[in-house]
Order: sequence, then C-alpha cells, then structure tokens
Amino acid sequence: MNAKNIFKLCVIGSLGMATLGLTLVFNATPASAHGERSQEPFLRMRTAQWYDTKWNPQKTAVNDEAMLSGKIHIAEDWPRAVVKPNRTFINVGSPSSVFTRLSSKVNGTPMFTSGPMELGGDYEYVIKLRGRLPGHHHIHPMLAVNGAGPVAGPGGWMDITGNYKDFTNPAKLLVGGTIDTETAGMAAGIFWHVLWGGLGFAWIGWFMIRPMFLIRARVLAQEGGDALLNDPVDRVVAWGVLGVTFTLIAIGFFTTDHSYPYTVPLQAGEPKIKATHLKSDLTMKVLAADYDVPGRALRMTLQVTNSGETPLRIGEFTTAGIRFLNKVGVANNLDPTYPAEIMAQDGLHMEDESPIMPGETKEVKLDSRDSLWEVQRLMDMVNDPEQRFGGLVMSWDESGNRHINSIAGAIIPVFTRAAG
Amino acid sequence: MALFRTAEIIKASKLPPEGVKLSRMIDAVYFLPIAYLGVFATFHMHFDLLAGDWDFWIDWKDRQFWVTVTPIVEVMYPGAIMYYFWTFYRQPFGATLSITGLLVGKWITVVLAWYWWANFPVNFVMPATMVSSALILDCTLLLTRSWMLTAIFGVWAFAMMFYPTQYALFGYSKQPMVVDGQLLSLADYMGFTYVRTGTPEYIRIIEVGSLRTFGGHTVWISAFFSAFVSMLVYTIWWQIGHFVGQAFFWVKGKRGVMSRKNDIMIVGTDEFAARHGTPDGVAPKLTSARTLAEGKS
Repeated sequence: MNAKNIFKLCVIGSLGMATLGLTLVFNATPASAHGERSQEPFLRMRTAQWYDTKWNPQKTAVNDEAMLSGKIHIAEDWPRAVVKPNRTFINVGSPSSVFTRLSSKVNGTPMFTSGPMELGGDYEYVIKLRGRLPGHHHIHPMLAVNGAGPVAGPGGWMDITGNYKDFTNPAKLLVGGTIDTETAGMAAGIFWHVLWGGLGFAWIGWFMIRPMFLIRARVLAQEGGDALLNDPVDRVVAWGVLGVTFTLIAIGFFTTDHSYPYTVPLQAGEPKIKATHLKSDLTMKVLAADYDVPGRALRMTLQVTNSGETPLRIGEFTTAGIRFLNKVGVANNLDPTYPAEIMAQDGLHMEDESPIMPGETKEVKLDSRDSLWEVQRLMDMVNDPEQRFGGLVMSWDESGNRHINSIAGAIIPVFTRAAG
Repeated sequence: MALFRTAEIIKASKLPPEGVKLSRMIDAVYFLPIAYLGVFATFHMHFDLLAGDWDFWIDWKDRQFWVTVTPIVEVMYPGAIMYYFWTFYRQPFGATLSITGLLVGKWITVVLAWYWWANFPVNFVMPATMVSSALILDCTLLLTRSWMLTAIFGVWAFAMMFYPTQYALFGYSKQPMVVDGQLLSLADYMGFTYVRTGTPEYIRIIEVGSLRTFGGHTVWISAFFSAFVSMLVYTIWWQIGHFVGQAFFWVKGKRGVMSRKNDIMIVGTDEFAARHGTPDGVAPKLTSARTLAEGKS
C-alpha cells in the first residue's frame, strides 16, 4: 500500500470519526409536528380554508371518546398546479393511530370512503375518535386530495392518558356478536402462518440433512448423475407433502367458510355529499395586495359592498389555518382553546375601523401583520409557481351574526422597506 | 437398508472424506448466510415494491387485485431461484426457500415496523402466506423433473390455491357490520378506524377491474387470470435465472489463446481428469485461482 492510499484511508477514517462524533454531540429531539409548515404557501392558502376547528376535549383517557370537528371551505381560486378535488377524503393527521376513528360525517353524511368535493363548497366535518395510545399528540384535520396529496389543516394538541394495554375497540357485527378490532382473527392468522411456515422449513430441512450443494453438483456433472440424485424416498415424500398441502388448504377453507357463513366484499363506493355555501351580506373584491417580506405582513385593498340591512365590521382574516384577529374578531370569535401558536389576537389592522354601512361600497385596507407569517413559512410565497393568495374574511353585525367571504387575488412581493 | 442414497451419492462424487466434511461446511455457510438471507432480503424488497400494499393492509385484500397481483409477483423469484437450485444441484426447494424467506422478511417488518414502530395491531397488517403454493410448486418440479410441466401444472396450482389458503387467515374480516347506517365489511371498518395519515382511503386499488362474470364469482375469475399470467411470468423468470445463473471460466490453450469454458462442473470429474492426466479424477493441485484460469485445455 503506497503513501497515497494510506492518506486516502486516513481522510475517509477522519470523516467517519467526525460523523460519529457529531451524531453523538447533537441530540435529536422528538418531532413535535408533521411538517405542515413545509407545504408550499399556495397549497395551504388556496385549496382548503379551515375554520372553526375544535379539538374536544383536549385531554382524553384511553378508551374515552373525543371529537375533531370544524368547517372547510374549498377555495374557488383552486391553484392550476394542484389536481382538482375530484376524489377527496377528510382524514386525521396524527403520529400513527393514536386515536381510532369511530365515525366521520361531512355535512351529516358518513364519509368512510373518498368522494368529490365542489370548488366553492363548504363542508362541516365531525370526526368521532377514541383514545388509544397515551401521550401528547399533535392532531390535524387533513384534506387528502387524490393526485395532489394531503393538505394539512391547523394542528392542535390532544393528550391521552392511561395505559395502552387497557385499550379495546369493540365492533358490533351485523349477524350478531361483538369483536375487538385489536385482536380479531389474530389467533387464526398466527396459527396458519406457523403451520405453513413449519411445513415449509420441514421441506427444506428434509434436503438440508443430506449433502446439499458441492457433492450433488459433482455427481450431477457426471454421466447418470441425474438418475442417481433422483432418490425414490424424495418422490414418496413429495407425494405425501402434496397430499397434506391440499388437505390442509381444504380444511382451512371449508372450516372458515362454515364459521363465517355471511360475508360481504370490500366496499368501494363513494359518498355523495351535498355542499353548502358561505353566506354573507358583503361582497368583496381584491383590488390590490402585497406581502411585506421584512415586515411580515400581508396587505390588501378590498372593495367591499354591504347589501344587507345591518352595519358590519370586519374582525378576522384566516388562511392556511392561521387566524389574524382584531378587537371585533376577539369579541365575537375568540376560542380560548384554539392553539395560540397559530393565532394572532392583534394581527389584523385596518386604516378605517368604521363599520360598512348597509348599501355602502368602500375601499378597505386590511393589514394582517404578525411574525406568524415568518414562523409558519407563508412568506415563502415568492417561491410559489403562482403569485396569488387566498383566505376567508369574517365580519360581524351588532347581534354577533357572522358573515364569511372567500377572497383571492394576485399578490406582489415587497422585498425592502424602501420599496414598500 | 438406508433411507437415503447419500452414501452412493458421496461415493459417486469421488471426494475424499475431508472433502466431504468440507462440503458440508460449505453447505452451511453458503445456504444460510448467503443464499437464504440474500433471497429473503432481495425478494422482500422486490415484493413490497410491486405488491406491498395489498399485503400490508387488511382493507386491500379484495377479490380482484389482491388475488391477481400477489401470485404473479410471488412466482417471479421462485422461477429464477428454482432454476438455479434445480439445474446445478437438483434441489427441489427453490420456491419454498424463496417464499419462506419472503415471509421471514415480512414478519420482521410486521413486528418491527408496523407493530413496534407504527403501533398498528398485527391483525391489521397480517401478511398472506404462499408457503402452501410453494410446496406444490417444488413437489411438482421434483415429481415431473420438467420445468415446463411445472410451469403448466405447478404454477397453475400455485396461483389457484392462493385464495383458499388465505381464506383461513382472513375470512373473518369479510363479516358484515353497519356503522352510521352504512354496510361495511370488518376489513373496511378496520381500514377506517386505524388512522393512516400517509395512505388515505383513495389510494386503495380494489374492486375496480372488469373481471366480473359468471354470476359474480369474481375470485375464481381473478385466480384463473392470475394463474395464466403467473405461468408466463414463471417461464420468463426461469430464463432470467438461466441468464444470471451462468458460470464459466477462461482457459489459456497451448497456443496462448484464451477460450471460454461454460461447464465449470467439469473440474475434478473423470472427463477433466482424462483430459488433464489425473487418472483418479481428483482435480490437479492448484496453487492459485490464476492457475485454474490458465489450466491446460
């Protein structure tokens, strides 16, 4: 080995040692979310608009029931770069199956399988859960769109207490009786796996107890070797194994068929869910919008017309599951259980805070400003393939009735203070 | 009278006693760490890439795709492995070795990945077993000693016996239940109740084919179709085994010309001994691997 090779080995060895050292120095902390911030802003802001999300209760015991509920507005301005929601499923984003899902209803219709959703449609979902794995879990509602992937909704923390060993998930059968989905069919499955595996290993073992390779290869290469290796006892055993195999298959099939006389195939239908639509006395049009990158703000100018009979005040702008509120929003729509890390209670500012009077049309300058734009990585919009934004604007009348408008429009980045 | 022909076979091999002892050590080292682990690791990866989801999830085990896809994918490796073990050693356990190896890999995944890491119950991710079909395939090859007859009869039975074998394991999951006014099979409900973030419902490829005739006997139509495709696939993979299972060495002739010798088994045989002047049939003493390559021809 020459000096050059020794040097190369030293370099490789040093790199290996350095890697090992760094691995030991940096302690990996447990993941606390699901990478929802890594989803591109246009995907989060212009597909599913999540609102009224509730994690209830936030502390559950193993076997106790909990609820994940809320509403979702399918944006009219759905991005061209994302497959349309022709086959969708409202899912639960969780670290493994920490809850089991007992039922899922969307606008009152059970959603066991995926189905189409309508652009501009509004859907209320109620997902009933049962605590399974103890821990402190980050739970999201999630809209899975075939061809586009899952779109994560807002994430909230739910605690499950107790012991997993106590968990049961009873399911009532149509023909009577109840079984536990945690253990159903387990014994039969393991029995047959052990039986067939044992037979398979016995078959291989039958040939392992005799010379296997080198000797047989040498014999086979000679004249008459094939005939010599054709041992009559192997043929007898092969017939026996064939007989036993077919007999066991028949026994397994017919006893199971006898045990479960009523069966149905897997169900592959799709739910027909009727959409509802947002109601508002306001009509809104985006006249201009920019996002102030250093100021961490999305500024928009809206033309707003009130065609109702009562004055309305804007109180909230929500997009990508992140809420920006002002005093009106806090007074009317503050859910104290909503995760503080995705809500800015003083994040919405207006130049003119006067209400929009009945019949009035005016320009409204809305400024949603908070470090959440940066923390939630929505300022990465500049890297999006389409420079547009979307979201929901919520307004209230004096009686506390809510009016919701879905808005969308082109947006211009502002990179420096001077330009802004 | 001896049960086996082992003594005759050892005598015919013309190996000295120490050679016989060494060959058994080679059997042990070659078979378990190399052949078995190699097959189980590569076959497991191959199978998971082509048919993994149908095997992982209980709510993918339908009458059409599961029954069709699984035998076709599971017969591939046995085709090539059976060629190798049968052609070079007349050992009829290539299919059983492949399938049991695959199951070892599957169960490692079930226990470590699905149960221990991802916390799914084992019954929800119980794999199918095709050991019964593999035994049929191996026995057919041993009894017919013909790979073509094995492809026709053995592979046909290999695929046709898939569903009846699995029914004993998964029949319970086809029981009906009603949830929120909807009829579901227990397997559907298990797929619904155990939340899978990365595998939403619509990814399931079930019950969407056109193999539906003869009064709804979808399973058997799918099994027949699978059997025919499996026959074709088996013959292709037998030939792949032939292609990758070739062994040869280069011999330098008297005039210094290198020529390829395909029959590596000739080394140490009577023919080799006659050609090279070693009347006892034992291979000439070689000083290095290079000496073998440069042996007389």
